[in-house]
Amino acid sequence: MNGERGSESSGRVQLIISAKSSGPGGFTSKLAGLPREEMHQRFTAALEAAAVEVFQMMVGTSLEPADQSALARVADYTAMIGLAGDLCGVLSFRCSSGAAERIAAQMMGTDENISAECIRDALGEICNMVAGSFKAQVSDLAGQCMLSVPTVVSGKDYQMYSLVDGLRIQVFKTFEGALVRMTLDLHNN
Amino acid sequence: MNALRVLIVDDSSVMRKIVDRSLRQAGLAIKEVFEASNGVEALARMQQTRVDLILSDINMPAMDGLELVRQLQAVENAQGVPIVMITTEAGETHVVQALSNGARGYIRKPFSPDQIKERIIPLLEEQP
Repeated sequence: MNGERGSESSGRVQLIISAKSSGPGGFTSKLAGLPREEMHQRFTAALEAAAVEVFQMMVGTSLEPADQSALARVADYTAMIGLAGDLCGVLSFRCSSGAAERIAAQMMGTDENISAECIRDALGEICNMVAGSFKAQVSDLAGQCMLSVPTVVSGKDYQMYSLVDGLRIQVFKTFEGALVRMTLDLHNN
Repeated sequence: MNALRVLIVDDSSVMRKIVDRSLRQAGLAIKEVFEASNGVEALARMQQTRVDLILSDINMPAMDGLELVRQLQAVENAQGVPIVMITTEAGETHVVQALSNGARGYIRKPFSPDQIKERIIPLLEEQP
């Protein structure tokens, strides 16, 4: 993730995420030869499987299918991680503050109040593990791919804009009734 | 197997807690757990303490897990101690580098207590 900047307009913070490779970047020859629709299906299935695996193993809860039209447009927490190499882009995980607190509590194995620092830590790790698991599942197509350090944004009044110009993969799920969304924005090169 | 003294190295406090809990859920008897949030802290701890097992992340600030494993080869307290990497970076390059630097095993995040058991118990049983 090369560039990330925030600006404030009409009281709402706008986060603009840019992912540009400093190396060759873009799609590898294997990916370039894959029809876009097939790539979309393959990556969607891999992202969904990655999210389900991470929640089952590390949170101890199954993610359920979600009606994406019901997802609130404003999320209280957004965790992001950059990808560089054979795949170049940004993976984000978004959820409400209630869902974030429950995810962190279950990861910590406690019912006690969870600090904001722990919530950010937990969501950063979720995003990191989903990205790592996704990467492993598409390793035949994109074997060389590095992950950045995760970033977590929290607040009630912000909008996300991605400058990444390629494929967008979105997976909507519910976690204990709360909607969560994972988005993978890939750079075209 | 005697109760273990374990060093867990990860920049995420949540992840250190999960690793600790998973070791206990895997049925390992734990005597004491030491925590470090990066390779520098882990090296300092190992200068003072002898442990039975080291579990380390790779991507960390200050000093990453690959460099930590390399530098532990020169630390007397770390001689013969199994080091297992627990990380999202499970690509071939990282695995080869970790093993060549001196790590004895590799666990990919996310993981289950069963996977911890499968990978770690054989290493502990090899210990004299």
